[in-house]
Amino acid sequence: MKAISELNLPEDVRYTDDHEWAKKIGDVVRMGISDYAQDQLGDIVFVELPEVGSSFDKGEEFGTVESVKAVSELYMPIGGEVTAINDALADAPELVNNDPYDGGWMMEIKASDPAEREALKSKADYLEILKG
Amino acid sequence: MQTTVKRTPLNSWHRNHGANMADFGGYDMPLWYSSVKDEHLAVLNGAGVFDTSHMAAVTVAGSGAADLLQYCFTNDLDACMGPSKKPLSQGRCVYGAFLDENGHTLDDAIVFFVEADSYMVVINAGMGGAVAEHLQRNLGGREAKVTDLSDRLGKMDIQGPAAAKILGAVLADPKAVFAGMPYFSFKGHVDATSPLADAVRLDDGTPILLSRTGYTGEFGFEIFLAPDKIQRLWERLLEAGRSNDITPCGLAARDSLRAGAVLPLSHQDIGHWPFINHPWPFALPFTADQTGFTKDFIGRAALEKQTDVFFTHAFAGKDLRKISAGEGSRVIDADGQAIGTVLTCATDMGIGRHDGDIFSVASPNKPEGFKAKGLCCGFVKVNRKLSVGQHVDIADNRRKITVTIVDDVRPHRTARKPMADMI
Repeated sequence: MKAISELNLPEDVRYTDDHEWAKKIGDVVRMGISDYAQDQLGDIVFVELPEVGSSFDKGEEFGTVESVKAVSELYMPIGGEVTAINDALADAPELVNNDPYDGGWMMEIKASDPAEREALKSKADYLEILKG
Repeated sequence: MQTTVKRTPLNSWHRNHGANMADFGGYDMPLWYSSVKDEHLAVLNGAGVFDTSHMAAVTVAGSGAADLLQYCFTNDLDACMGPSKKPLSQGRCVYGAFLDENGHTLDDAIVFFVEADSYMVVINAGMGGAVAEHLQRNLGGREAKVTDLSDRLGKMDIQGPAAAKILGAVLADPKAVFAGMPYFSFKGHVDATSPLADAVRLDDGTPILLSRTGYTGEFGFEIFLAPDKIQRLWERLLEAGRSNDITPCGLAARDSLRAGAVLPLSHQDIGHWPFINHPWPFALPFTADQTGFTKDFIGRAALEKQTDVFFTHAFAGKDLRKISAGEGSRVIDADGQAIGTVLTCATDMGIGRHDGDIFSVASPNKPEGFKAKGLCCGFVKVNRKLSVGQHVDIADNRRKITVTIVDDVRPHRTARKPMADMI
């Protein structure tokens, strides 16, 4: 397992308590799980994502990420409508392990409330959570 | 009461090599090093090594030892070897369980016949005290000494088709060691002062007890030795096995491999319910016509009465997706009735379905272009007898999947292959 100092935690995304990241790209917010989350989960073998067009509230469960050992819930970092999902994950779920912030992105969301993204954690605040 | 987590002799090695650690049975153990999937596949394709020093063992010695074990252990030591049901002989070992008066499982175990009036019983992590106590309490005037060897033995497993080739490279006389070593036999001794220790020595003289057993369903060995010798052996095997892609494997791969091999996990697939009506009838002393038992043992009366009737069945899913087993799980039959719970639900990453049939990466008849995507498998505990081929749904509070009751999961396992084919 990675030591905290070894984790990849980009500055240009925001983080949640559930170890997800969210990044504004034009009109939408793209999200995935953090390097810490993928390291803890181990080999990811399946990602269950919702249909494009479905809507969820912030904090609502929208899907699952399945490792060899267990199935974990995924929660909306912000509320809104799902505008895109990463199809590459269907054949290559390991992208989430190998490239969690880029090739392993999970969904794009059209935010229902822009203020919710502001409330997400900075890298510094997320590090504080990881240090416990 | 606060208990400190225990460490095996290889603990620092695991941590220095980046293992993801977790508590198992009171021990700080590696779950995986970098990839569960790679570790699982390594055992099917080449070899893997597992630190199993967390497991416990007790010795039972004396003129009453055999009789004590006959009374406490489910398998009939007088009739358990091979189809002709010969008695357990020196250098052979056998699987079974220790039950209480209700027929519930205290622990499962492998009993080793070391020499006349001398047995070793290998059980699960943290169970040394409980099993020793159980044997002690049931002595009933027999002449037998029970000794708990917990934390006094080093143990590691090497499993996979290349296991003998790799191990042979570090043995003093591999040809002699591997000759006449069928499945569930063992040679050697951990104690250097025992005459039996000459049977298996490493090329540096270290004596080991080498057993052709394991928990993966694949060809390989369990190795018992002095704790201060284990790190050197571990490192030497990793070095010797490089050309066979040998990999250190953690408990996660150990669990997915055993699930695909239809092997139970103690206190999960066997436990506080009668040890009967399950996929392991060979652990019980059934008569030839399967209608009764050949000997008396603790729990016999309860198993015969069968007041609490449960059935444990193995299952395999459609694809790799699984559910969370345990208390929150349900098994639902074709009529929508909740009929039980899921004991184990794991993913065997070395197998997959093609047109409904299950193939392994090791299957000689696997279809062209077959890629093992993984398959969900495990055990259910239900209130009625199910048939092989029957479909049931299993669910947790999030997901429901349809699975098939099976009598086997991962095909083409290598555990029983003739030694001559493996060296």
